[in-house]
Amino acid sequence: MTDSALATNPAPVAAAAAVAPKLIVRDLNFYYGGFQALKSISMDIPEKQVTAIIGPSGCGKSTLLRIFNRIYAIYPKQEAKGSIELDGENVLDPGYSLNRLRSKVGMVFQKPVPFPMTIFENVAYGIRHHEKLSKADMEGRVEQAMRSAALWDEVKDKLKQNALGLSGGQQQRLCIARAIALRPEVLLLDEPTSALDPIATSRIEQLVEELKSQFTIVIVTHNMQQAARVSDLTAFMYLGELIEFDQTEKIFTKPGKKQTEDYITGRFG
Amino acid sequence: MPATETAISATDILEQRSRRDARHERLFRWLLKGCALLVLASLLGAAGATLWGGRDAFSAFGWHFLVSSEWDPGNEVYGALVPVYGTVVTSFIALLIAVPISFGIAVYLSEVAPTWLRTPIASAIELLAGIPSIIYGMWGLFVFAPFFADHIKPWLTSNLGNKPDDGKLSWVAEHVPFVGKLFGSDYPFGASILVAGIVLAIMVIPFISSVMREVFQTVPTRLKESAYALGSSTWEVSWDIVLPYTRSAVIGGIFLGLGRALGETMAVTFVLGNAMHLSASLLDPGASIASTIANQFSEAVGLQKSALMALAFLLFVVTFIVLLIARLMLRRLASKEGR
Repeated sequence: MTDSALATNPAPVAAAAAVAPKLIVRDLNFYYGGFQALKSISMDIPEKQVTAIIGPSGCGKSTLLRIFNRIYAIYPKQEAKGSIELDGENVLDPGYSLNRLRSKVGMVFQKPVPFPMTIFENVAYGIRHHEKLSKADMEGRVEQAMRSAALWDEVKDKLKQNALGLSGGQQQRLCIARAIALRPEVLLLDEPTSALDPIATSRIEQLVEELKSQFTIVIVTHNMQQAARVSDLTAFMYLGELIEFDQTEKIFTKPGKKQTEDYITGRFG
Repeated sequence: MPATETAISATDILEQRSRRDARHERLFRWLLKGCALLVLASLLGAAGATLWGGRDAFSAFGWHFLVSSEWDPGNEVYGALVPVYGTVVTSFIALLIAVPISFGIAVYLSEVAPTWLRTPIASAIELLAGIPSIIYGMWGLFVFAPFFADHIKPWLTSNLGNKPDDGKLSWVAEHVPFVGKLFGSDYPFGASILVAGIVLAIMVIPFISSVMREVFQTVPTRLKESAYALGSSTWEVSWDIVLPYTRSAVIGGIFLGLGRALGETMAVTFVLGNAMHLSASLLDPGASIASTIANQFSEAVGLQKSALMALAFLLFVVTFIVLLIARLMLRRLASKEGR
């Protein structure tokens, strides 16, 4: 039933039509071996807006996020079918270089995972992979990335210390700095605050608000209040299907589908 | 009343039980402590016994025992330089070969190989580790050393060495210092320091690679994914993320292999050539501490026996110094990472 609903209404983004889509997902199916985790997803993700993906555990929201930068491809037996266009090119095409894709689409994971190196090197590491910069330029880029991630003032005096010495919230902002240091166009956040305390969480949310002027942000969250606070659009997923995708305000005030309403009012999930 | 009686006996049982538990706990702790102290006692005992057994040699030759390359049972003159040099150099060659190969095996098995292939290869490695060293020695003596003498050594001597068969020095031997000396040899047979190093490498690869594989599997997936998400290749993730993350365990594994290489006796005795003379060439035969002891202990008496004991003590010292260097290396690496 939902399938047919989606088929007749393939891109439920009418509300965001004013903004050009950055990512165009069409008929996306995803398989973990024999298990189909995503069923025929189609959505347009607008540029320089925050799109939240919500849904109960196991609904495929993280899976969907992990397809945008093809991080799933490091595992054998995981397979995506369909298309995701980034600026008109299908990133799922094997000919689309992973290196290029990952410089355009950055990702921040659930738990902060600093690399086993100094704070400075954590941010410089990714830049060095894609660009050859002089020492001064590199320092500039690292500082800029850390400023954008609202981290610079806290770490500028201990750049040579090991990143594992930072607090959880600082580590997560370091991971954000590391991702935006590559100057990506899209930033994927996979439950970025699920391991953080409320104060660190609100700092990250504030940061997301600031970053959306520069990046197209897609955030997966299990926290509905967070989705309501930070996002412009919200997608609700259930059992591998995209149930509803609309402006956040509409999703949370007058959702179009019964399942969405049940979920946001806490009746299941 | 029966109810109170039960209550009293219940508390009695509880008290008895807690007293017994405390007694058992004390006993158990003593037992554990005893097990740990046994290690210390055997180490000190072995070091002390060899030092005591070697006292005649140490007092007869003093420092000369360490720096002299002469080992002449006929004239009762003993110096440990040749076997110490042989031990250190063969083990060093073994690590030089074994560490990169083990790293490759471990990265392949933990990052690249399809799942169905991982377990068979890992079991094969464990099997390799279980083969007795005498079998490696036999293979080295009867198969590898002759092959080396026929096919590899001639190429090495004429292309790198300073004593080529045709009398013409190669470009490398002429222009790169030391290389000519390392690969020049007058001996026609295979048994040599290099062959011993290669055989040792094959013997320690299972140890080093299985430790590396195990610790590589402990690296959190999130950490590796974060690096992949920045565009890193498998090589970069392995080298920049996995290796630093597991560094101390990896170095531990390498030193486990080194410990085996330093002390390996039978295989080395077979393929090292057992020549008590000092040569810069890796293609010349040599001797190691363990092979010297194995070759001579049966007929040694008096000062020669004492000299062999002193050699055994030196093996302790060499191993200890090597471990010390490893510690210092670890500390320097850690300070570079800002810890």
